[in-house]
Amino acid sequence: MASADKLINTDVPEKDVFALHFLQSLSNLKTQNPLNSPAKSIDRVRKIKKAAYVSMARAAGGTSRLWSRALLRRAAKDDNKSVRFSRRKRKVTWKISSKRRKSNNQRAPVVEEAAERLRNLVPGGGGMETSKLMEETAHYIKCLSMQVKVMQCLVDGLSQK
Amino acid sequence: MNSSSLLTPSSSSSPHLQSPATFDHDDFLHQIFSSTPWPSSVLDDAPPPTSDCAAVTGFHHHDADSRNQITMIPLSHNVTNDALFHGFSSGSLPFHLPQGSGSQTQTQSQATASTTTGGTTAQPQTKPKVRARRGQATDPHSIAERLRRERIAERMKSLQELVPNGNKTDKASMLDEIIDYVKFLQLQVKVLSMSRLGGAASVSSQISEDAGGSHENTSSSGEAKMTEHQVAKLMEEDMGSAMQYLQGKGLCLMPISLATTISTATCPSRNPFVKDTGVPLSPNLSTTTVANGNGSSLVTVKDAPSVSKP
Repeated sequence: MASADKLINTDVPEKDVFALHFLQSLSNLKTQNPLNSPAKSIDRVRKIKKAAYVSMARAAGGTSRLWSRALLRRAAKDDNKSVRFSRRKRKVTWKISSKRRKSNNQRAPVVEEAAERLRNLVPGGGGMETSKLMEETAHYIKCLSMQVKVMQCLVDGLSQK
Repeated sequence: MNSSSLLTPSSSSSPHLQSPATFDHDDFLHQIFSSTPWPSSVLDDAPPPTSDCAAVTGFHHHDADSRNQITMIPLSHNVTNDALFHGFSSGSLPFHLPQGSGSQTQTQSQATASTTTGGTTAQPQTKPKVRARRGQATDPHSIAERLRRERIAERMKSLQELVPNGNKTDKASMLDEIIDYVKFLQLQVKVLSMSRLGGAASVSSQISEDAGGSHENTSSSGEAKMTEHQVAKLMEEDMGSAMQYLQGKGLCLMPISLATTISTATCPSRNPFVKDTGVPLSPNLSTTTVANGNGSSLVTVKDAPSVSKP
């Protein structure tokens, strides 16, 4: 719906941005860890996967989206690093005050239980209102599909050798 | 706007019912509330005037509402509905109201305010006015709730375009689709990162060892033998770890019968001990046979992940 997209910004950068970030993270990985023994391949898989997600989060807008922020924070926590967040004026909308909302029982239970499942999937979804959650989901889906395309192209390019 | 005059419905008692041929909405309301057919029995009851005023005040509230809909039916009082209906029927009002099907209209008006107003205002071009649905008229919570639902519906529509197979009209199934799609994408990333491992290994071996074509072959076949031994060792201990190890390499296990069926289906003459990458159907498919200690043989199949989006 065109009018909806005007209100909500769900633009993602082009494929090149994602590819650039991902390749950079991969080369970082390679310099950090030379070829391990096969028994630890699972760790390598995990590292690659994590690098993929982190590079995707960075490419998609860094800390400007809620899900990317949560992803980066989670990744940094695992590595015992700290993420620098730029201070931004949070636009306080009246929708965010959900305390009064809790008393209102008229939320569609169908939507809400689906929203619960989505919250488990989308990073950072735990603290979001349902409408905000869906916005983040839309952006997350776009970024994920872009990342998958990039990785698929890389795999195809490499496997042809 | 005659809204101020509406506040005193029973004050003026002059019947304006039959007067103008072209009346606009405000006059119409004025007429309803000020007409004599309004039975005195209604006025005797305490609730009707208050419910009346409630309807009117509700009307006021919804002037501000962006919805622009119409109502003037008092909310839930049977007596007033009776009174209205009788009021309508006794006077000859210049709009269509089926007088024969009295109770039907009445229940209709009780059931949905929308159809009632549609029935009572036969004018094709009514000025869009604010209106409340039944039972939720003036509650700001419910207005906010409705706005919230609209927002959610908007976003779901935009999500619908993103997700393939998003032609489901049902909200619940659409949400399920969205959730499954997110899971699918995450799984794709996982699988691709696993295969990236294999690609990275071959690339790095190529780069680091000044590879010619033959060199690459020998290294890969050597790797295969090592893999086999590793897998055989792991299988003796625990199948799960063996599977995991193979998964890390981008390989999978399958019974020989299945593998031979596949290979004969795709390429008739093959040496099962040679890594074959020239299979027509799936160009990245290659197989290795591993003889298990138990006597049953298993075949590992290497496949570059072809989880591409449809």
